[in-house]
Amino acid sequence: MPDWLVKNQPYSPPPDKDQFINKSILSILRILSKLKSQSGYQMDKFQVNAALKVAFTFLLVILLSLSTSYTFILVVDVYLLVVLSLMEGKEIVKILSVSLAMAIFTFMILLPNVVLGNTYTSMMITLKVLSTLIAVNILSHSTRWHSITSALRRFGVPNIFILVLDITIKYISMLGDFSLNMLYSLKLRSVGRNNNKYASMAGISGTMFIKSKEMAEDMYAAMECRGFTGEYTVHNKWKWSMADLLYILKTVAIITAFLYWGRI
Amino acid sequence: MHIPDNYLSPSTCMVMGAAMLPVWTVAVSKVKTEATKAKLPMIGIGAAFSFLLMMFNIPLPGGTTGHAIGGTLLAILLGPYAACIAITVTLFIQALLFGDGGILSFAANSFNMAFIASFLGYFIYKFIKDRAKTAKGEYLGIIVGSYVGLNMAALATAIEFGIQPLLFTNAEGLPLYSPYPLSVSIPAMMIPHLLVAGVIEALFTVAIYSFIKKVSPDTIFEGTKHKIHPIYGLLVTLICLTPLGLLASGTAWGEWGADEIKNVVSGGKQLGFTPAGMKNGFSFNAILPDYSVTGLPEIAGYLLSAVAGVAIMMIIFKIISSFHKKNSREIPKS
Repeated sequence: MPDWLVKNQPYSPPPDKDQFINKSILSILRILSKLKSQSGYQMDKFQVNAALKVAFTFLLVILLSLSTSYTFILVVDVYLLVVLSLMEGKEIVKILSVSLAMAIFTFMILLPNVVLGNTYTSMMITLKVLSTLIAVNILSHSTRWHSITSALRRFGVPNIFILVLDITIKYISMLGDFSLNMLYSLKLRSVGRNNNKYASMAGISGTMFIKSKEMAEDMYAAMECRGFTGEYTVHNKWKWSMADLLYILKTVAIITAFLYWGRI
Repeated sequence: MHIPDNYLSPSTCMVMGAAMLPVWTVAVSKVKTEATKAKLPMIGIGAAFSFLLMMFNIPLPGGTTGHAIGGTLLAILLGPYAACIAITVTLFIQALLFGDGGILSFAANSFNMAFIASFLGYFIYKFIKDRAKTAKGEYLGIIVGSYVGLNMAALATAIEFGIQPLLFTNAEGLPLYSPYPLSVSIPAMMIPHLLVAGVIEALFTVAIYSFIKKVSPDTIFEGTKHKIHPIYGLLVTLICLTPLGLLASGTAWGEWGADEIKNVVSGGKQLGFTPAGMKNGFSFNAILPDYSVTGLPEIAGYLLSAVAGVAIMMIIFKIISSFHKKNSREIPKS
């Protein structure tokens, strides 16, 4: 056995900056975990039609934006809190953390405006941002995404758009997995100081593009083999349930509240 | 650059939606004719690519990180129309499913990122590339295109923010939406974009493009053969800038109305009277008087007038050039 193999040689790699790789890995992981948690969703106990939910959320967002009444916004907030309180704890944390972060950011931006004495508007805008985000996040956390996309079909969004939307959601997770592995290997192989990391970052994104092109070709071939002609139809039938009716009643209640307090 | 809901008024969002509808329609039909059905999955996967591209952090001086938008990059790789749809879909998923960027302001976000950043960036790239035919010229085109594309998108965002307090106030005169005027919003948006974000965008675009060109050159979008006339880029820029006209509270010099001319200051003195010829003269009632349309908010009328004005100019130019062609064809015959 050669001498140098027996000898103990301590190696302490010089500190290296790889914060940006960690951040990229984290942000992709966050997206992937959100996509994966989708498949675990239980269908709503009350099984409200997704189209109704989407329409109601859009309406709520519009009314919130139009309203100048503090009371109306508080009423909506209370309603949203009730809905939130009926969800699972894990979901509530996710929804609130995303929404509060953005609301606090908005408040920070509006802070100079508060100093100038315009407190009322600043509070209104912050509250509106918070309520809108909670409403949208409740929709996204309580409904399966493919039912949201098929609900859009009912609103007359063109087929091509919905097909593209579905493909995108599926491939965000596939391409995300793929690029995550590349980022891991870049991190593992950068022992000590590696000044080529920045160039590798472009390599990873470039490879991701080429890979996406290959995936698209494979996907088209597979679609054509299965008889895809460019048309995309929705098959599930609309069935009214008790829950749907209750949901419509809720919509009417919100509109009435808007007309009562939230004069434009 | 993702505008959340409630920063812009619903009517601004509607105007932006009205501006984006024709863009989307043209983009969908262009993609349908330009690309075969085989390209359809590519748009979806291109959208997934653009979504993930925004997740890639790049180190910045000072220990922070930033990310690119990739508007111009996608337009160069997929073609501007496909890129427009891909980025729109990305923004839609971000807004509806990830709560990033608003639902009402979705159209405004699409206008800034899917339309301005990708189309303007691509046109600048193509314009420079077609004239300087070397590889260096191409890279110069990419750098200038992505830098200007992103900064114009940021400028459009700043203008959308900045016109809110001018147009939408409550009874007490307090702003209902984004409270900062253009004098605040433009520097606040433009300084970081001009200094940092634009540079990142340009560097990232060049780096990824050169990598793809080296590894797999045939995957890049070929583009149309004919040269792009510089006037189109100028037109897009001018339309984006029209709301700025609202800033100038006075009337353009030499364009005074009969009721305004008496206040005109000339040589330190007010004119103080209305010339009789103007008072009783011919008054032309334009269809869009003072660039505002009844029943529409001022800004909507302004944009509408801008689009109409550009369309009319283009029609006139096309008519003139069609005469010109006819004449030039006749000359060799005689």
